[in-house]
Amino acid sequence: MISEFANRTFKHWSLWPCLGFLLALSVYPVLQLIPMALSTIEFADGRSVWSFTPRRNLDLLLGDEVLRDAVVNTLFFVGLSVAIEMVLGFFAALFVACMPRGRTIACTVLILPILLPGVAIGSMWKLMYNYNFGLFNQVAGVLGIEPINWLGDTQWALLSVVIVDVWHWTPFVFLILYAAIESLPQEVLEAARIDGASAWQTIRLIILPLLGPALAVAAVFRAITAFKAFDQVYLLTSGGPGTSTELLSLHLNRVFFEQNQIGYGSMLSLAIIAVISASILVARWTSAHLERGDRAGAGR
Amino acid sequence: MQFQNMAALAAAGALALAATGPAAAQAPFANVGKQVDISILINSSPWFGGFEKIVDLYEKQTGNKVKLDVTPYGGMLEKGRNAVRAGTSPYDILNLDALWTIEFYEGGFLKPLAEIDPTFALPAEVLTFEDSNYWNAQQRWRTRDGGQLMGYSPNGNIHVLYYRDDLLKAAGLEPPKTWDDVAAICQKLHRPPGMYGFITRGEKGNPIRYDWTPFMQGAGASIVRAPKDGDYTVTINSPQALQALDRYISLQKSCAPPNVGVLGQGDVIQLLATGTAAQGLAVIAAWPTFDDRQRSAVVGKINTVVVPAFPGRNPGVAIGNWVFAVPKNIPAERQRAAIAFSNWFLTAPAQRAYAEGGGIPVRSDTFASDLASRPEFRWMKAYIDSQPFARQELGYAEGAQVEAVLGLRLNQALVGEMSPARALNTAAREIEAIFQRGGRRTGQLTPLPE
Repeated sequence: MISEFANRTFKHWSLWPCLGFLLALSVYPVLQLIPMALSTIEFADGRSVWSFTPRRNLDLLLGDEVLRDAVVNTLFFVGLSVAIEMVLGFFAALFVACMPRGRTIACTVLILPILLPGVAIGSMWKLMYNYNFGLFNQVAGVLGIEPINWLGDTQWALLSVVIVDVWHWTPFVFLILYAAIESLPQEVLEAARIDGASAWQTIRLIILPLLGPALAVAAVFRAITAFKAFDQVYLLTSGGPGTSTELLSLHLNRVFFEQNQIGYGSMLSLAIIAVISASILVARWTSAHLERGDRAGAGR
Repeated sequence: MQFQNMAALAAAGALALAATGPAAAQAPFANVGKQVDISILINSSPWFGGFEKIVDLYEKQTGNKVKLDVTPYGGMLEKGRNAVRAGTSPYDILNLDALWTIEFYEGGFLKPLAEIDPTFALPAEVLTFEDSNYWNAQQRWRTRDGGQLMGYSPNGNIHVLYYRDDLLKAAGLEPPKTWDDVAAICQKLHRPPGMYGFITRGEKGNPIRYDWTPFMQGAGASIVRAPKDGDYTVTINSPQALQALDRYISLQKSCAPPNVGVLGQGDVIQLLATGTAAQGLAVIAAWPTFDDRQRSAVVGKINTVVVPAFPGRNPGVAIGNWVFAVPKNIPAERQRAAIAFSNWFLTAPAQRAYAEGGGIPVRSDTFASDLASRPEFRWMKAYIDSQPFARQELGYAEGAQVEAVLGLRLNQALVGEMSPARALNTAAREIEAIFQRGGRRTGQLTPLPE
């Protein structure tokens, strides 16, 4: 009797350790942020002293002028870098998939950037961007082009950071899409060829729709990691000049650690988590809505 | 300048007059006996090489062991915070940027040195950089008046003006005494991109705030009216501050590389060391690089003078020293071992060895010794001549937040995102809000016309 009950419920209780682990590592820290976000935390006699000041932290959040720039920059950075990475990653995957030979070597070379730590990438690109000694301006000089102030000009700085991010993360998109392209049903592609579809028609009408789920996964993953970008940008520009490359992650670091505003930093973190969660929910709802629409269309 | 620094310099002068340079060199190192191993959190700044050598010497002389956790500047504060907030600190001596010390003093994380060893006292010759190593908890101010000795400086960074001695001599120019001189020299020698007339940091945050401070102080401006007396009226949007910012920006725009808005300490040192800059405002700790054949193309060609002044005014010299302090949360024997190292490190011969190894000593008698006349120590005159003008800024609990405001708004003015007047008005408004939240008596000047 007991054995039968255990067998029947095993699938439920066997998950509890994992669930506990998940709660301890991800939910508990977020819950811990709540009391911190409602307080001002200072230190005296080697101990933390908490005072309940939710209004103060909220006022700081609403009146934070740099935060507004950071939000705009982050949206621009995420939007532009992910869009370029998706396009480049897709065409790179398509190109490598069509190569008659040398795919292994191509894949190895293409994924090298994601194997490098962000700190190494930031340092390397900072040297290449250097106005006086950098590779790019040396090449520009040879070509008779005026040197570009890659990181020191507010017009160029964010674009320069996007370029580094694209270089770093396009291979990630490539990997996901390459695997997806390799697993596409060959008979569908064969049928398109027999029906006389051009290469562009095959890509647009066959490959892209079939890659939909993989594209969505790559875009969501990249958007999440781009949203959290920190190390490269910190090394390249530290958010400057001015606020031109100030991202949310950098601003949060500044508030939390440089200025030691633990309460306001927690409030800011909660606000960011809330906005991201809301965005994910909206994205899921939109996706589900579109899928229902597709199914309804197919049914008719 | 604080009394102790004046006294330290006077003591050094007396020693020099008595021709006791060699005698000082013969003075004994402290005998500290056998101590437990200690660990020091130390930054990988340009002066680290000198400190590493002196630690080696300590280990050889005493047989005691010192472990160094060498950390980039950017990671020092968090390592220090984590150490003192933990059950037991992994470090026995923390090296703290003087700007951070308030947080650690107010938080009660550090052990006053006299509580570890009631006989411990700083030698009279040790420079204290406006008492940044004392804390008066009641007054919430760093002062020896009613304050406790919390640490001492292993490095007394201040600004000096570096210049290319060979180029100035070849052009028949004198080393600059005023910012107008700097501009005139720049005009003669500025040949970008091979030679920039003048450089200093413009990077957002601490770099621009700190490197603009000599301009601000030299113009007679201040951030706050009289914080020591509790008057936190914000004065950063004064006409003098605007003059200082205009001068700083005009020099940077006409003499520095176009990427000045992101120019950091590494860049400034690199430009000077590669012979690409004729003049540069930088901390004294940068010096060891310039005479190092492995890292410099201008060995023997760079010299230093006191930071230039505005006409008719004293120069502004910003202190950016470090403070060695002992955490409260370590066992007593480790605290005693930290004091033992400190006793040894602050002796005259140890400081001399420190200077010879490439460090910046903190005893005034080291500067008054025969070392100062040796060519490789030609920086010492400018350093010691600067001391009477050296001043601390941001010596209050809100210092880090104020620095964040200034570090951003000054940088925005430099890169053209805001006019200088608007940047200073914005900074004044934001700094006043910070002090209001901290419950200080504050206010601000009438905004500058934008």
